[in-house]
Amino acid sequence: MTTETRAKKFLGWVDFRFPLTEVFERHLSKYPAPTNLNIWYLFGFLLIVVLAMQIVTGLWLMMNYTNSAEEAFSSVEYIMRDVEYGWLIRYMHAAGASAFFALIYLHMFRGMMYGSYQKPRELIWLGGWFTYLILMAEGFTGYVLPWGQMSFWAAQVIISLFSSIPVVGEDLATWIRGDYLVSGITLSRLFAFHVVLLPILLIAIVFFHILALHEIGSNNPDGIDVKKHLDEDGVPLDTKPFFPYDISHDIFALGVFLIIFCSVVFFFPTGGGYIIEYVNYEPANPLSTPAHIVPSWYYTPFYAMLRAVDFPLFGLTAKFLGFATMMAAVAIFAVLPWLDRSPVKSIKYKGILSKIFLGIFVVSFFALCYLGMVPPTEIKALLSKIFTVGYFSYFLLMPIYTRLEKCKPVPERVADA
Amino acid sequence: MRLLVFLSFAFFSGLSFTAGEYKCGSIECYEFSPDTKDKESLQRGLSAYMNYCYGCHSLKYSRYKRVAEDLAIPLDIYEQNLIFDGSKIGDLMHISLQESKAIELLGAKPPDLTLEARLRSPEWIYTYLDTFYEDSSRPYGVNNKVYVNVSMPHVLEDIQSELSVEEYDRYIADITNFLTYVSDPSAETRKQLGIYVILFLLIFTAFAYLVYREFKKDLK
Repeated sequence: MTTETRAKKFLGWVDFRFPLTEVFERHLSKYPAPTNLNIWYLFGFLLIVVLAMQIVTGLWLMMNYTNSAEEAFSSVEYIMRDVEYGWLIRYMHAAGASAFFALIYLHMFRGMMYGSYQKPRELIWLGGWFTYLILMAEGFTGYVLPWGQMSFWAAQVIISLFSSIPVVGEDLATWIRGDYLVSGITLSRLFAFHVVLLPILLIAIVFFHILALHEIGSNNPDGIDVKKHLDEDGVPLDTKPFFPYDISHDIFALGVFLIIFCSVVFFFPTGGGYIIEYVNYEPANPLSTPAHIVPSWYYTPFYAMLRAVDFPLFGLTAKFLGFATMMAAVAIFAVLPWLDRSPVKSIKYKGILSKIFLGIFVVSFFALCYLGMVPPTEIKALLSKIFTVGYFSYFLLMPIYTRLEKCKPVPERVADA
Repeated sequence: MRLLVFLSFAFFSGLSFTAGEYKCGSIECYEFSPDTKDKESLQRGLSAYMNYCYGCHSLKYSRYKRVAEDLAIPLDIYEQNLIFDGSKIGDLMHISLQESKAIELLGAKPPDLTLEARLRSPEWIYTYLDTFYEDSSRPYGVNNKVYVNVSMPHVLEDIQSELSVEEYDRYIADITNFLTYVSDPSAETRKQLGIYVILFLLIFTAFAYLVYREFKKDLK
């Protein structure tokens, strides 16, 4: 027997017992992707790569990290100095976190722009939204682990937000910390979440997200339903198989991404203080509060909203209202599929109002991102309020403006777009 | 729409690199760019540090041997001249001054300085070492413009009075270079390796582009 026939025979043996070829073809080699996908459709693939990278680098970091208040900080320096290529693994993991958020924001924006959350992709969108939630928790718990000043005080501030909840707040915050102040007990539980619970959830939900996507099929920049026109084998005419057409595209994009990513890792590993904050080079000290406690850049839009709400209302404290606003800003993405009443998916065919409000959303998001980084002033507090309203108006007014506006007709086929 | 997205990106990227600068206490930082490639400067800086700073300021995340190797100092010479307390060459650079004793003498615990250059920036260290001035209201008769009301005496006072201004500037530049090195000892290796990684990725991406272009032709 030649090697080729032997391999075929073995594959036949496996396929008889497990749908290996079928799964491979359905989810990878023959997955039909619309022919009009553009650059915005690269981020899903890159996110998978970054997820894999975070898992691998995280695993290696864990081999030398010590999760106790006494040892955590020096074990990170041990990784940076004494572990072979420890500095590379750690910088990749730290920059990987920022890359993860940058990519997921672009990926989410793509979905918002082209209406990828609309029927029948609501569950795909919800899966993605849940991934984002878990990623935020991953980012927060991971940030605490080096046990520097910013780690400690960020944990202190974030966890104390829960204490603003009426009635149960104080007890809830103590329960989360496992102590009356952030301590080694808090550190080791956040470590357990960061390396076991959250990654398992993350992998499971990403699996769900991709499975749901492959059942329904990808949306496209024109929001055309490609399943309306099939060839004799039942494959949509306006699609191409993932292998080799999309994979060649994705690998080229991966190269470009890695050039940018490695430039950061090798030449600007702290990212000017945005990837690793300078204050975090001082070990956690519960007795001295840093002058400015700032969250990582990927949380600052929500932090700005927390600070924007500085007035009590209906007997509720300003702190609680701010916390609730911040939570609502993240949660509201989940109901997006039911807020959009437009007959078309893509922004290309929606009316002028949708374009204006999406523009308001983008500007508000970036402005809040900036406002959350800088020390507050009176004018900045006012701007934060305005942009918070801008942010929410995109969502809350959507049922109205998507019904009011006049949409353009969506073409039947990609070629007509 | 596209323009709007682009403008927001431009707005954001422009801002993100203006923040995060450290100001030097009561004054602007002096201009200083550290040179961690200059081995001789690093060696002079190490020697100055071990003689004038190391009595109080440990470098407890760093090891003697790593410093000796990175600065191209033969291990036996290093052991004989720069290890004072009988530590082994592979040990971490702890000091023998006890915390309680330090507080008794100075009123505060002198911080470990391994990561000082990353925490505060090289400019800060350089400016700090250059801005001690006489102030009779302070316990040691000196104060500092960068770290106002610092507990530390001006340990380089004798050196500063012996040397010319240029010579003293070089002296503190050496110490600052050394502290910059020790805060991130893999920096030079990292940058060298980075060049090869980027070169590889450029070639990889060029070929990936050619493959992509070839398959793209099929779709036309």
